[in-house]
Amino acid sequence: MASSTPPASENPTSTLRYIRYDSAHEDAYVAAMRQLISKDLSEPYSIYVYRYFLYQWGDLCFLAMDTDPTTGEEQMVGVVVSKLEPHRHGPMRGYIAMLAVQEEYRGKGIATKLVRMAIDAMEKGGADEIALETEITNTGAMKLYERLGFLRSKRLHRYYLNGNSAYRLVLYLKEGVGLMRTSFDPYAPPPDHAHDHLPPAPVPPAAPLLGENGA
Amino acid sequence: MLPNTQARAPTTRIVSQSVVPRDITEEFTQAASKLKTGQLVKDEYFTLFEAVGALEVGRNHLALAHCGEIEMIIDLMDTSHKQIMDPKMDSGYLGPEEKGKGLEDDYDVLRDLVPEEVVWIMDELLCHEMAWHRGHPLSQTLFTSIYLDKLLWPIPRTFDDTHFGCGSLATEKQIPDLVHIVLRAYCLALIKCCDFVHARVTSEFYYEVSSVQIERMLLTFFELAQEEDFSTQLYNRTLLSHFEYEHFSDVLNRAISWIDEQDTIDAAVRSAIKSRLQFRQEFLSGLQQDINILETRSVDKLESCLSIIPALRESSNTSRPVPESFSWKIQRRLASTVPPRPVVKISFEDALAHLKRLCQDGIHLNQVLDYGGPYNLKVAVWTLLSRKPQPSVYIRSLIQTIIMNRSTVLGALPVKQFIYDELAALVLPSSILLEANLDETEVPSDPRFQIAQLMDGFVRRFSQPFVDTFRSACLNRCRIRRTVCHTLADWDNLQMEAEDLDEQLRTLSEEPPLELPNGDTTYSYPLSSWAYHQKLIQFRLILQLGFELTIYAPEELPGMYWYLSHICSTHLGHIDRIRTFILAAVQRDRRSLAKHATLRKSFLLFDRLTTHIVAIDAFAISLHALYVLLSRHKVLPRAFAPNAYSNDQFRYELRMKPFLQITLPELVPYEEYNREATLQGDSDEVVLERATKAIGEARKAWEATLANGPFDDFNGEKPNAPAIEEDWKRDVKDTMRACIGASIAIETVKKALVNASGAAEPLNLRVNIPEAGSKSRWHDWWAVPQVSQAQTQSTKA
Repeated sequence: MASSTPPASENPTSTLRYIRYDSAHEDAYVAAMRQLISKDLSEPYSIYVYRYFLYQWGDLCFLAMDTDPTTGEEQMVGVVVSKLEPHRHGPMRGYIAMLAVQEEYRGKGIATKLVRMAIDAMEKGGADEIALETEITNTGAMKLYERLGFLRSKRLHRYYLNGNSAYRLVLYLKEGVGLMRTSFDPYAPPPDHAHDHLPPAPVPPAAPLLGENGA
Repeated sequence: MLPNTQARAPTTRIVSQSVVPRDITEEFTQAASKLKTGQLVKDEYFTLFEAVGALEVGRNHLALAHCGEIEMIIDLMDTSHKQIMDPKMDSGYLGPEEKGKGLEDDYDVLRDLVPEEVVWIMDELLCHEMAWHRGHPLSQTLFTSIYLDKLLWPIPRTFDDTHFGCGSLATEKQIPDLVHIVLRAYCLALIKCCDFVHARVTSEFYYEVSSVQIERMLLTFFELAQEEDFSTQLYNRTLLSHFEYEHFSDVLNRAISWIDEQDTIDAAVRSAIKSRLQFRQEFLSGLQQDINILETRSVDKLESCLSIIPALRESSNTSRPVPESFSWKIQRRLASTVPPRPVVKISFEDALAHLKRLCQDGIHLNQVLDYGGPYNLKVAVWTLLSRKPQPSVYIRSLIQTIIMNRSTVLGALPVKQFIYDELAALVLPSSILLEANLDETEVPSDPRFQIAQLMDGFVRRFSQPFVDTFRSACLNRCRIRRTVCHTLADWDNLQMEAEDLDEQLRTLSEEPPLELPNGDTTYSYPLSSWAYHQKLIQFRLILQLGFELTIYAPEELPGMYWYLSHICSTHLGHIDRIRTFILAAVQRDRRSLAKHATLRKSFLLFDRLTTHIVAIDAFAISLHALYVLLSRHKVLPRAFAPNAYSNDQFRYELRMKPFLQITLPELVPYEEYNREATLQGDSDEVVLERATKAIGEARKAWEATLANGPFDDFNGEKPNAPAIEEDWKRDVKDTMRACIGASIAIETVKKALVNASGAAEPLNLRVNIPEAGSKSRWHDWWAVPQVSQAQTQSTKA
């Protein structure tokens, strides 16, 4: 369960800078990104996965860069990769696919900052909700997202290749997202199959049981 | 983190012998030379699913792992391209540690083995077998055995081909006896065991779906492909399903007699080998029985397995390792879209523990088979399948088939009878609606004929969803909750349909209306009442599984326990309503004594249900009040930061997502929820009193529930299921322990409140909510906080 430790300080060292992904520097960025992510996340991704995201939603990818004070060399220390599109033709859903911060840079609020930048960008892009999955053993990530207001909506058994289960975390950014109809709403009533011999079902609130149950 | 999917996508492909590989290196190189490094050629319809599943090209070659044996290695890129390649995604990749070792293993399966080595290999195989049972793919478990590989590939045409010398020039006579007679028999029987398991799981694991659900199933395919309890992938091999059981049994028998005669082998090692062969014989025979248990009611074989397990454990120290007889490199030759992944290691102790549970659950399954009415069957099935750890996928698949197969429940009862028994017990004790079918009336104008017709329609429509409320217990716990979230909407519709039927039926049966105290009249609506009862059970299950799966954040707990009690009181009101109508029917019809006996049975069932729901309700009310106090005094752990994106109202909407579109019970508007969940306007004293009183009631009601026992009388008797009864009682007792834990927490808060004397400061308390599954949790469905005096701060006056 959640501990009472305060969120990590959001004052990163002065040499840190946050930038949006830029396809002009694709070669350098993607290589560094992959290195970061493959070290951090248990799932292996092919180059196509990165390209799938970066070519279509490069503007939703943010990087944390740090400059070595002695050599002046800049290195990538954090990355978030996301996408934004209508979910089953329903609400605009932002999806955070990958988030990684180099080990020595953790606890400085870099991940939170990156996620906030991504969410802000997705919100600007019209997102109604944000979703993601995280390994249930990754308490750090869960705390981070829950602090930002995400709720666990479901648990997915043995979701990842390593056999770990996941939580789906969801954040509504607007009112009424839960009622937005998707073309394949999993909770929607099934098609009118059963009324072969009957007229369409009457409007429910008039149902006789309504006034009598649980009163 | 985005999950990979490709490994789970079913790829049952058959190697076509007629495929002729063609070297396309030239054409490919030419086409590729026109592209810049890293240039994306993306088809408009190239989806994320495909991106995740795509194989990479790199490290100087393209390994077409799909082709299984026909591995094409095409030189097409220079090493400068290797940075686009994640080595973990390269199906032909060997790590630096493998440098110089080549792609093939040079282990000789025809070599001599000492008996101790055979023991080790058998035990290692058992570990891999159990790891597979636990959900790991064959490629990372059993298929890493070079011995098994030799037996499975090339696919043997006849049973005589299944020996380690097959494909080489060696004749059977040149293979050492210990390897050919003993190890081969063990390996073959093990493969056949896996074949039986695989056949059962693949035939049943995926929920049978009615046509109306198919669309929805397709849409959730991504999720289905994602999450698996079990890896059914065979990588284009067979588990020797084309050879009959008797072959395997024969080779095992021969091996057992052979080992008995080997006086030169040390007695302890000989007995170790023999016990392993005997275990395999019993296990194979137990698995072969499969659903025939419905006829045989025999669990002897699994009982024998259980009795041999101690011998396996004790003799495992007589083994000598032969680690080189396993290799992860075999994966390169399997028909798979994923690169080789690490071999899964589970300890022999873990493997035996899993095996023991498998046998035990398989034996206790026998106690589910005697039909004692729908209520008792549901208790038995859910109790057995809620065991922790959950019974293995094989057992769950078996139970799923046994519950209903070809429209027959427990292999004996027509599904119509099953649903009629349920209706008779709950809403229609002694009613013309159920009797109309017994008539031979064939005059279409006769109301009885019309009733029978409508009731037949009801059975057709409702039997599958009803049976599914039993079968869903066979899914893993995560999926149960998600499935019930889906079926809830179906039942909402079913209830409406049932209401239409009720209206037609009551005209035909000339049901007299019941006058309410306020002068209004109403009718019983038996079928829709029953559907609503089913739906309310599902509401409760979604919430309780939410606690079990740790779906709710700490600050949601006051609200969720309030909602649980809200659902319970709705349910209690509903049961009262059903009872009222049955009573009214009794008063109308005082003639038949037999009918009175039937009615009395229904009332007993109502009492049983009521006691149980009251127990849940009271406990939920108490925890709700306790959490309100902890939240008010700011000692409840918080997940959300003040500067979070969402607000309480958005979070409420998200949490209520499964219920948003449900007609009945109506969604509680946020404002009302917020008022109720925070007990707005009630002083601490009032809330404390509420918590104390409710926990007292809960303890009494749980004691009464325990005294009632798990099973209801059915045709004058209760099922004889001692093991299940024991599980059920343990579950209730754990709940009672959780009640005691809650009482203690309430007392601690009470003292702290007295000491704080109304100050607005946070109380000097430390609150810990034990994780589900941990010992201090007592019961997964009850998140009882541990509340203790904080040590560091001095008590504030």
